[in-house]
Amino acid sequence: MPTDSKVVRTWDLMIRLFHWTLVAAFFTAYFVEDDWMSLHVLAGYSVLGLLLFRIVWGLIGTRHARFTNFVCSPAKTLAYLKDAIAFRARRYLGHNPAGGAMVIAMLFSLSATTVTGLALYGYAEFSGPLAGQMGSTPEWLGSSLEDVHEFLANFTVLLVLLHIAGVVLASLQHRENLVHSMFTGIKQKELS
Amino acid sequence: MKTSALLTALLLGAASTGLLAADVNDVQGHYRAQGAGPFQSERGKSLWNSRPYEGRQCADCHGPDLTRSGQHQRTKKTIEPMAHSVNASRYTDLKEVEKWFTRNCKSTWNRECTAQEKGDLLEYLKQL
Amino acid sequence: MKNWIIGGLLAAIGITAAFLAVGSPYENEYGWRGPYDYRYARHREDVVPVQSAAYQEECGSCHFAYQPGLLPVASWQRIMDGLANHFGENAELDKETAGELRAYLVANAADRVGTGRSPGIANSLRGSAPLRITETTYFRRHHHEIPARMVKDNPEIGSFSRCDACHTGAAQGNYDEHGVRIPGYGHWED
Repeated sequence: MPTDSKVVRTWDLMIRLFHWTLVAAFFTAYFVEDDWMSLHVLAGYSVLGLLLFRIVWGLIGTRHARFTNFVCSPAKTLAYLKDAIAFRARRYLGHNPAGGAMVIAMLFSLSATTVTGLALYGYAEFSGPLAGQMGSTPEWLGSSLEDVHEFLANFTVLLVLLHIAGVVLASLQHRENLVHSMFTGIKQKELS
Repeated sequence: MKTSALLTALLLGAASTGLLAADVNDVQGHYRAQGAGPFQSERGKSLWNSRPYEGRQCADCHGPDLTRSGQHQRTKKTIEPMAHSVNASRYTDLKEVEKWFTRNCKSTWNRECTAQEKGDLLEYLKQL
Repeated sequence: MKNWIIGGLLAAIGITAAFLAVGSPYENEYGWRGPYDYRYARHREDVVPVQSAAYQEECGSCHFAYQPGLLPVASWQRIMDGLANHFGENAELDKETAGELRAYLVANAADRVGTGRSPGIANSLRGSAPLRITETTYFRRHHHEIPARMVKDNPEIGSFSRCDACHTGAAQGNYDEHGVRIPGYGHWED
């Protein structure tokens, strides 16, 4: 992209592919549940792989993908949220502070969901990489795993809804189509 | 004349190999061939109601009224009626009859039934 | 602005279509979950259904015909060796039929089949060979929440060994929790 261009590539191809593949993988797992165990597990493994990629990419990737670019203090995040609700937040080219916080929240929530899923797969189905360890888990501990896994999955859905709300809010406020940018990777350098 | 003779021969041949559905009399004939008989319904009835040791009684699964279905005590599986008048098809396959005699005599009385006892039981059941 | 409205409408239609096609994760009181109700789901893979007519006939005449994929080879061998005292009953068979059934069971046992729940069941046993499916760790972990009054003390059922009393898809090899209807209690909420 020439430097005098009015647009800039904010989201690189890897980040975009990662984002939409994660959407597909997570919701596949969420809706299929254990009714179709092999597909559910495949989707779960995909999420795990995608998470690992994102962490690595967050350390060595393009500018706006790196954690150092968008992870802020809680104070700054709260201040941003207040401004956003008042419709006077500043426009960010990459992740805004709330978006940055959402990335971290999602990473934790998805990690916890997949890890408890692996544990549950080992405990109840005696399958997967944790089958050996979970085989001798006492029942009082193992039986709660299903509830924990379900709760975390639902919590992730809650985060997704908040994420969508945030994207819509920011898009309306700054009159730019952020969803479109997540497909093309391109944003206006400056808003008129 | 020739065709009907041929047909009869075929029918008898088929019946003896169990291809054509036999009936309870044919099954009893099998036990007669082993030297048992004549068969008495009364002996069959007393066998049916006997309880030689603290094992089981036939009625435990087959029920008190043999014109109606019984139920397996543990699995709750429905057992079709035993009475010949209601369920004659039960007695048409010798192999099946033998299988259930072997199992149920051993389960209920801890031994195989003799050919005489089998014939007597069938005599009792075919009158119901 | 128009793009947003169109986009929003498309998204709403898309999500609705997805829900209808895939079904909601939550059920109404009748247990219906949309077209993805377990009865319609093509990919039923819990346990391979019984494929031997002889097995269905002989071993399904007194009780539910348990699919061979529910127990390992060693368990089936023990059962076939002990037909004279089959859980307190005599279940003897002629040699030919017994041989045919043994071969079928061994070929399709849990530690021979790679699909569905069978590998998990085999793993859960770690070499032990119980006679009863209800004694496997796999079974216990999946049924631990069910109180005795619903099964053992339920006059309509009496024993956990009667799979098809509650699992409405058991005969097809489907033990999915959404297909469970406990007599006298209705749908089971996990």
